[in-house]
Amino acid sequence: MQNNNKETLLQNLKKSTAGWTSGQGYLSDIVISSRIRLARNIEGIPFPTRAEQIELKNIFELSKQVVEKSSIFKDSNLLLLDKLNPLESQFLVEKHLISIYHAQEKHLYRGCVFNQKETLSIMINEEDHFRIQYLLSGLQLNKIWEFINQIDDEIGKKVTYAFSEKEGYLTSCPTNVGTGLRASVMLHLPALVMINKINDVLKAISKIGYVVRGFYGEGTEVMGNLFQISNQITLGLSEEEIIDNLEKVNQQIISQEQKVRKDLLSESKSQLEDQVWRAYGILSNARIISSVETMELLSKLRFGVELGMISHPDLGTINKLMLLIQPAYLQMLAGKDLDSFNRDLQRAILIRNKISG
Amino acid sequence: MLCQICKKKEATIVITKIIGGKKTEFHLCKDCAAVFSDKFSIFPLPQFDINDLLTGLLKAIDLYNKEEGIVPVKEIKCGNCNLTYDEFKQSGKLGCSVCYHDFREQLAPLLRRLHGNSEHVGKIPHQVRGRLDKIKKIKQLRKKLQEVVIMEEYEKAAKIRDEIVKLEGVPKKENAK
Repeated sequence: MQNNNKETLLQNLKKSTAGWTSGQGYLSDIVISSRIRLARNIEGIPFPTRAEQIELKNIFELSKQVVEKSSIFKDSNLLLLDKLNPLESQFLVEKHLISIYHAQEKHLYRGCVFNQKETLSIMINEEDHFRIQYLLSGLQLNKIWEFINQIDDEIGKKVTYAFSEKEGYLTSCPTNVGTGLRASVMLHLPALVMINKINDVLKAISKIGYVVRGFYGEGTEVMGNLFQISNQITLGLSEEEIIDNLEKVNQQIISQEQKVRKDLLSESKSQLEDQVWRAYGILSNARIISSVETMELLSKLRFGVELGMISHPDLGTINKLMLLIQPAYLQMLAGKDLDSFNRDLQRAILIRNKISG
Repeated sequence: MLCQICKKKEATIVITKIIGGKKTEFHLCKDCAAVFSDKFSIFPLPQFDINDLLTGLLKAIDLYNKEEGIVPVKEIKCGNCNLTYDEFKQSGKLGCSVCYHDFREQLAPLLRRLHGNSEHVGKIPHQVRGRLDKIKKIKQLRKKLQEVVIMEEYEKAAKIRDEIVKLEGVPKKENAK
């Protein structure tokens, strides 16, 4: 484990770019990122929502020991969230390192372990003792499973997981019990949205046991035509089956999006080009811009890049911009609190630099 | 199109939200959208909480049990963390790993409804793996033993018995769940 203090860690996080924004990986023109998370608890100790402070402390200390001793975590850091201010916590949410719930929860000894590439994060004392998450760019669920399975084994050697032969890994919420595995894929679906077919698609997949969420997970709105699709069922299927099924469902959505894109290109190429270049025009010239408008325009610009209408900026830059323009990230970069108006000013400067630079 | 909130200025921004699994669009002007997004996107309020679904399901199962004449046990409590089943129904969250054991009967119908299944078939932690493998092996050997006894192959039977004794050899310390 690296032994950095809170200030150094936050400084580093401001400069570093999350690995999953690279724009690389299979089908990265439609798939922004893939993620798997495992919910794990320690036998006998009450789950965080019911644990005493001393038990939460013990879990935190235990996590520290595991991370310190294991070579798999040699480039990882452990951050205690209790001392972060709301802005710093929100910054970690925007980076997808912690959940909104973890940022807002009031109990002590909440932690986050994350590696340098920001592809791994382990939330400590969230709803479960451990929430292990692995994120990569593009469609790479099998690779993620390989990585996260190893990490899970490594932790499982050092602690006794709460497990029963019948119900599998035991979790605070019965919706996670069994494998404790939630896999999700973030899709960019501008074409399906454009022809108003997205509702049918979403309805169909929710009927077969999948959940659709926005950019920041549970309870968040859809921004920039980004849809996060994840499995609901965690018990009675093996990890491989869950991942395989989710991948198949996503492949179907992707092929529908691809088909509509092709049709749109042959029927209304000029109109699409016009939209893409208008988006580019606003993004590279605006002086005041909100995060909502930015996300909408970045989606159009990304669409143009995906269709080969515009070659600059690349997908990686657009992915990174989607993070950098978020309210807390902007304020962290500025090093001070900014009101809504000043954020819109700063945002416009940042986008101009990244896009025309 | 005019902004749906102030109904005065031209709507230039479309905000999309998923409400109850359905995509809904809001056409707003720049000013209203800024207020709207400040309110919703920084720490968005959950529109739909999985817990609401869960507690709804729990109530439905209770009703079903009543109709079927299954009388709920009074005040069952987890022996480890003292969570009562009623408390679980309120919050949708269990208190500790022992709750799954102590509420097993009550949880089974819920798990079947949530997952379509109530038996785990996935990964098994390393520490448990060895123990489970052994139990499985002994079961298989016992079955084989019966077969060879029927065939009157006593030499083979003796060998299998030795193997079983060897596997069972270590006195059980852990209380198997």
